[in-house]
Amino acid sequence: MQIEGRYMDGTTSSRHYARLEVSSYHPVNITLVIEPDIEEGARRECPLNFDEMKVSSRLGNTPREIAFGDNELFVTDDNDAVDEFVRGFKGGGSASFLHRMENSLTMILGATAVTILMIWAAVVYGIPSSAHYIAHQLPDFTSEKLGSGLTMLDETIFSPSELHESEQYRYRAVMAPYLEPYEDLGPKIEFRSGMPANAFALPGGEIVFTDDFLKLVESDEELIAVLFHELGHLKHKHITRRVLQDSMITLMVIFITGDIDTIDLLTGLPTLMLDLSYSRSFELEADQFALDAMQISGISAKHFASIMQKLDKSYADHSDTDDNKYKAVTDFLSTHPPTEQRIKLAEQYQN
Amino acid sequence: MDDNAVSGSTSPSTSSTILNFEFRGNGLEYFKIWIVNILLTVLTLGIYSAWATVRNNRYFYSNLYLDGENFRYLAEPLQILKSRLIAIAAFIVYSLLSQHYPMVALGLAVALIFAIPYFINQSLAFHRRMSAYKNVQFRFKAGYGEAFMALYVWPLIGVLTLGILYPLAMLKMHQYVVRNSAYGTTKFDFTATFKDYGMIFLIMLGVAIMFGLPAWAIMTFFKDAAFISPIILAGLYIGLFLYFMVQTNNLFFNCLALNEHRFSAQLTMLGLGKVILINGFLTIITLGLYLPAAKVRMTKYIASCLEMDAKGPLDNFAAAEQDNISALGEEMGQVFDFAM
Repeated sequence: MQIEGRYMDGTTSSRHYARLEVSSYHPVNITLVIEPDIEEGARRECPLNFDEMKVSSRLGNTPREIAFGDNELFVTDDNDAVDEFVRGFKGGGSASFLHRMENSLTMILGATAVTILMIWAAVVYGIPSSAHYIAHQLPDFTSEKLGSGLTMLDETIFSPSELHESEQYRYRAVMAPYLEPYEDLGPKIEFRSGMPANAFALPGGEIVFTDDFLKLVESDEELIAVLFHELGHLKHKHITRRVLQDSMITLMVIFITGDIDTIDLLTGLPTLMLDLSYSRSFELEADQFALDAMQISGISAKHFASIMQKLDKSYADHSDTDDNKYKAVTDFLSTHPPTEQRIKLAEQYQN
Repeated sequence: MDDNAVSGSTSPSTSSTILNFEFRGNGLEYFKIWIVNILLTVLTLGIYSAWATVRNNRYFYSNLYLDGENFRYLAEPLQILKSRLIAIAAFIVYSLLSQHYPMVALGLAVALIFAIPYFINQSLAFHRRMSAYKNVQFRFKAGYGEAFMALYVWPLIGVLTLGILYPLAMLKMHQYVVRNSAYGTTKFDFTATFKDYGMIFLIMLGVAIMFGLPAWAIMTFFKDAAFISPIILAGLYIGLFLYFMVQTNNLFFNCLALNEHRFSAQLTMLGLGKVILINGFLTIITLGLYLPAAKVRMTKYIASCLEMDAKGPLDNFAAAEQDNISALGEEMGQVFDFAM
């Protein structure tokens, strides 16, 4: 058996034509015949021992490398011959297990299906439930640290509320009795301006209402509906869970693609979409919490529906005047579920 | 294998041969390797990722040809796995410390800033050492001070001069990477000047003003036609991005030299744009399954634009002595880079 290839001695970049000759009789002799250069002349025959040869594993159509001696190298494109050569010494063992896997259609289809399935399971069940578990195990000081965000928001986006002291006092008084059962969440009511109608819950327990939002509110019940929604975010530790889920997705992408360089536009887009879908499921969870709490307090779910409609309308109006209708609308729809879906949920409670 | 004939020519020092780089990988073939890698990585809870990295890198190195010979990737999986475990352990210790002792973590973070140039040096040394061509390994050896200047000081000067000296920072970075690299015992040289980099930035600035100003004017004065502005701006952004990628890559290779041998690159905005567009579209509609084939197409395109102007045969490069360089620098760099 003869395998044609190139020989490089490892001391310089010169390259010579070479041939690996394997005798078919017993005991098997391996000889590497190195053909001379035009100038140098001498043809070399070097006897080799299989145990001292390091044969690279087969990888696609890439050339096969056989290293021996002191950094000497024989390279050949004849992969099949090298496989046969190795088999002659080692038997039909698992030497090319990976290569066989990579070339079997069933294996490839199976691997693709299993991989998609595992990623799907991780995204739908694994990541959300482990983030849920970790978020509820974390000591409180960590969540406070994650959410020492109000001071930062005050410095960047928010301005102080323009509501009169007495108005603020009245709103606090209205909400106080409803907060009592949730003292363990440490809720603190805050009023701010500088943003369109909105309410937030920060993981430190601050629940922020914007002035524009309070202008939309026409009854105390509507205010309580939104208060309960924000309490739902606190109760379920949504911000902590979202931070955890985002970092887990990033880790998953690194594991899958194998390196950090691949995190760019292509992998970034699906990551963002996942984050948004997680965000929507958190909103629904908070809605559910709000509707339950309203039922207990004897407040009709129709107030929840009416404030949602007003918020939706205020976003639509706002974007009309702002000339970037599309951006505002898509932003709202992507982090939050569609309003019709949320109202439908409320209607189920009324019946 | 006709280089032996070339070496026999009468005056090798003056004969000039254009050698093309060529990437012989195949998208489908790489997809199979990639998907098996993912499967095994997930099944082994990430342990296999070291083997996967080696297999992926080997595929890309071994399929890159110059003068009928392929490049090689030499790292061993166990070496990478060990470093990866150490790096992850260090990261976990760091995270725990920063949770409970913020001051200690702050000190560590400052120490890390000073350690990064060292890690980058180690990482480049490992990468070069693990790459070989014609059975001669590449190498990289740079001092800490040089790495510190290229990574922090020059970019900072670029920012402080409002970007005027930013092209210089880029030049310094490329000089640091190239001039400390060697093929065997032969050092690479880099001949680009501040002017070369400055021109790229000046032209970009000029084009940005030429298209940006009208876009701004339409948006402010012709409200009815305002929808055109975002289109112009998006086009401008994509155009500038492509221009920057193409020009900096071409400049880099055109100024690269190994002894009397020169390199050249002819990437075009049209060519690169086409590859990015096709890759992006197919990757999105296949939910990422096209990613490996996209990487192959990009590598193929770049390799097809590269050539070497060889003055005589490439037979006389001597291999350097072996130093022991661990993969740890690279892995530490990756883990902490990600952490920040």
